[in-house]
Amino acid sequence: MRPFEYFAPTSLQEAIDVLRQRGDGGRPLAGGTDLVVQMKEGVLRFPYPEYVVSLRRLPELKGMDFSEATGLRLGAGATFAEVAESPVVRERYPIIAEGASIVGSVQTMNMATVGGNLCNAAPSADIAPPLLACEATARIAGPSGQRTVPLDEFFVGPGETVLRPGELLVEVLVPPPPPRTGGAYRRHTPRKQMDIAVVGVAALVTLGPSTSSGQADGGAFQRVRLALGAVAPTPVRARNAEARLEGRPASDEAIAGAAAIAHDEAKPISDVRGSAAFRRHLVGVMTERLLKEAVARARR
Amino acid sequence: MAKETITRQEYRVVGKAVTRIDAAGKVTGKTVYADDMHLPRLLHAKLVMAPYAHARIKSIDSAKARRLPGVEAVVTAADLPPHRKNPSNRREVLLAEDEVLFYGQPVAAVLASDPHVAEEARDLVRVEYEELPPVVDPVAAMAEDSPLARSPVSEVDRTEEKGHIATGVEQREEQGKPSNIASEMSFKRGDLEEGFAGADAVVEGTWWSGMVHQSYIEPHVTIADYDATGELSIWTSTQAPFYIRDEVSEILEIPETKVRVTATEVGGGFGGKIFLYETLVAALAMVVRRPVKLTMSRKEDILAATPAPQAVVELKTGMKADGTLTALQARLIYDSGAFPGAPMLPGCLIIGGYYKCANLGIQGYEVLTNKVSVGALRAPGAHNATFAIESAVDMMARKLGLDPLEVRLKNAVEKGDPLPSGQPYPAIGLKECLQAISETAVWNERRDSRKHPNRPDGHPPARGVGLAVGGWLGGLQPASATVGLNGDGTINVIVGAADITGTNTSFAQIAAEELNVPMSMVNVTTGDTKTAPYAGMSAGSKTTFTVGRAVKLAADEARRQILEIAGHRLETAPDDLEMKDGVVRIKGSTDKTLTFGRIGHMSTGFAARYAPVVGTGTITARRQAPGFTVQIAEVEVDPDTGEVTLLRYAIAQDAGFAINPLSVEGQMQGGASQGLGIALSEEMVYDDKGRLLNPNFLDYRLPTTRDLPPIEAIIVEVPSEDGPYGARIVGEPSIVAGAAVIANAVADAAGVRVYDAPITPERVLRAMGKIKE
Ligand SMILES: Cc1cc2nc3c(=O)[nH]c(=O)nc-3n(C[C@H](O)[C@H](O)[C@H](O)COP(=O)(O)OP(=O)(O)OC[C@H]3O[C@@H](n4cnc5c(N)ncnc54)[C@H](O)[C@@H]3O)c2cc1C
Repeated sequence: MRPFEYFAPTSLQEAIDVLRQRGDGGRPLAGGTDLVVQMKEGVLRFPYPEYVVSLRRLPELKGMDFSEATGLRLGAGATFAEVAESPVVRERYPIIAEGASIVGSVQTMNMATVGGNLCNAAPSADIAPPLLACEATARIAGPSGQRTVPLDEFFVGPGETVLRPGELLVEVLVPPPPPRTGGAYRRHTPRKQMDIAVVGVAALVTLGPSTSSGQADGGAFQRVRLALGAVAPTPVRARNAEARLEGRPASDEAIAGAAAIAHDEAKPISDVRGSAAFRRHLVGVMTERLLKEAVARARR
Repeated sequence: MAKETITRQEYRVVGKAVTRIDAAGKVTGKTVYADDMHLPRLLHAKLVMAPYAHARIKSIDSAKARRLPGVEAVVTAADLPPHRKNPSNRREVLLAEDEVLFYGQPVAAVLASDPHVAEEARDLVRVEYEELPPVVDPVAAMAEDSPLARSPVSEVDRTEEKGHIATGVEQREEQGKPSNIASEMSFKRGDLEEGFAGADAVVEGTWWSGMVHQSYIEPHVTIADYDATGELSIWTSTQAPFYIRDEVSEILEIPETKVRVTATEVGGGFGGKIFLYETLVAALAMVVRRPVKLTMSRKEDILAATPAPQAVVELKTGMKADGTLTALQARLIYDSGAFPGAPMLPGCLIIGGYYKCANLGIQGYEVLTNKVSVGALRAPGAHNATFAIESAVDMMARKLGLDPLEVRLKNAVEKGDPLPSGQPYPAIGLKECLQAISETAVWNERRDSRKHPNRPDGHPPARGVGLAVGGWLGGLQPASATVGLNGDGTINVIVGAADITGTNTSFAQIAAEELNVPMSMVNVTTGDTKTAPYAGMSAGSKTTFTVGRAVKLAADEARRQILEIAGHRLETAPDDLEMKDGVVRIKGSTDKTLTFGRIGHMSTGFAARYAPVVGTGTITARRQAPGFTVQIAEVEVDPDTGEVTLLRYAIAQDAGFAINPLSVEGQMQGGASQGLGIALSEEMVYDDKGRLLNPNFLDYRLPTTRDLPPIEAIIVEVPSEDGPYGARIVGEPSIVAGAAVIANAVADAAGVRVYDAPITPERVLRAMGKIKE
């Protein structure tokens, strides 16, 4: 590892000032579980940082809170351990808890942050599909003020986001879940822990009121959000599959049909973690399973 | 088993489960490893590694690197001191000189007082290459018209293999027309045609097992210092201090008496810590006349150490309806990488070494490619061959409607049966291991396994049970040890063998047993090559088997000396004396006693009356004590994702006599875990240009604790003729069976046969025909 300068500002404004004054060649540091590894291994997607700005002391990035009216705020600096253990996340957003609770190991989760996961912008980032499915928005602050971007538009390519030089992700806002909503996230990995998604699938469904026609399982898909990880240059929504389901009865046949569409919609590549054909196959299988699980949760 | 129980009771310390004497240091982080060591004026080395699998070096420009403050030297092949250079021996090609033969091959070394500066300077060294066609696939490399991976090889060094296995046969180095085949060999017995004609079922297949890494926690670390008097000192994480001394001495032309090799605590070896960059680091120290340390990063270690080979095994076997194996025909191709030394010969012995078979023909090839050259990994070469034969035996049993365990029992080798080389087996316990597995719950509940209810989430996984045999012959090398009595009556044991598996604990048990003292009175030290009595490398599972015998002899000799002094002192014949807990007394008497402390004092103090008590034990070992294992798994296969989940696992292994059952179980479980990594997830993946795609522990996947179920270890004890108390080899056999066990269990569960290991979800799905492209 080569020498670099280290800053530890104590407020968001101070951090932005450091980045503005020092200019190009700086890098924000959250948990460091991506950045430090990349610096050590010499596999950076950007030039080796001349200086590093720690975000760990910024109160604005910390923690999370929830209100029925506005939903969930996840600080960019919230660690996955915090998210996974949060009772409100587990109860109201199990889909997010599931994404958070599988990142690396206990040690990784104690360090790794939501913001780091999103800003590192790996196609396999585990918190991305759940947050995409929840239609979260990203609040960004920088030298020219604040802006809000739907998460769907946040990712540009592998390792690339809409963040401009000097900008920081401050928090992620997740709308409150409507009634009769259920969601789930799973990924396929060769190992049971300490691994990176070969395919990740998040499904969030809102069902309409049960029909009076006596359908025990009742209800149609009112809203469906499907997000896929590791099958495109960025985490993506599977919009064709979503569209196929909305308005239809929540039946196994409809779900199977949507899974087939998601299978075709995915644009995976072949790499050392799996061939494109394998990934595509998994998208089909997992979309079907996840939709069923989401429906079961929505009915609960 | 009754016999063993009786034998057991005669012993006081051996045969009892004891905590390893090095455990506290390791679990508290106090143990000093090579990388923890520092010397005054130490320089850190970083290696410039080739970014091509096959290339010619056109020029090396190190000017910019040299200018970086803190850099002391940039060393290329041209700057090294004169040394022996056999281009066929990787250990003598210290830095690539003209031709680069594998991706990651060291081309230059940068030396700086700060390791980070060395790393930065490494990236400033500019090397100009001319790319040459890489040879990557070993089967394609055997074709007449294949490009050559390298210039032809000669005078091949097979020491590493011989450290692990004594075979009694030599393989033929390829002569004549240049080709990528470095060596080949064949074994024949009986008449194959007749054997197949007499078979009721014939099974044919090609099994492939990938390249895997030993994956020790501690990457390679070496420190060398060459002082003004021409003495070379090396501290290195190695299993083979004397071997390194001998080799370094020869290559650098320094007499062995001037080379001190200290084997530092080994943070995992598994065959991968025999000998690697010690000569290079020594040569660098000679160039700069300062101590030099080389600490490999994980990435460098995976790229450029000595992993285990991929192999392609074509196998055809025949069986009679009654389960008699009638014919076995095999062709084994081991990918050696850029230098010869692949464990093809052991593979050839193993594939025909588990079962009696009247007709066999085995052909082995060792093929050169442009990849990092391979070395030993726990029973080198055996798992590749076992994957094939143990899958085939299951397939034949299935075809004939026979019980896979019964079929194995029927054909299993016993004492006196010949190996493919003709050499007869000494006492072995393969049948006893099969019997032990037949008594496990996993085996006896196998029929219920398939009837289990679906998982709560409604997916229909399939369950099944599979088993396989594994075995290893073991190495042979002479050994020696000393056992001395200290002035205070405690005991010092000194050996020359690196302790990689708890052997020093077993030596303490042996000395304590022979001297009838508690283990707490015994201390065991591994000396360096200038002070320790000679021992072979800690490889080939032979350390307890050979050095343990030497320790036992040395302790017996120390005991004799103690009794002689006591007899003289107590005016009795030594035969009338007995010793217990450090007290010698006349048999049956309580007043006529003498403590070890007293005897120690009388043999070490000023003007002492008696000579010091120092027992020496020296042995040579000429007959092996092969170790067999049988392993069984219950798995669940998800037919839609191809995932294989291990539910239960058991291993039975013949230890001859378990001197420390706790260590033996640890070896069995550890080796089985490694075998399961090979079976399910571990694979070094190269692209078609010979570049390694996964030199890290993220994409090179070792199983984690959550991937493995508890492993039930059943120790079987069929005493060996030669080992101490009947102990036989233990360390290696447990790794051998995994891939075959899993393949057989998957076949049982899902009805498909996977011929490629690791058996990944993608390969399972392909076998099921669920992915076609
Ligand atoms: C052992 C191990 C296991 C892992 N397992 C998983 C896994 O299972 N799933 C998974 O998705 N990932 C995994 N990862 C990757 C990594 O842990 C996650 O991506 C993690 O969320 C990164 O967060 P961090 O806080 O450590 O980010 P850092 O490494 O500190 O930063 C990551 C990147 O984001 C930038 N950045 C961070 N915060 C901000 C911000 N607020 N504003 C602007 N830019 C910012 C940094 O400059 C850097 O480029 C693993 C990593 C390791 C080492």
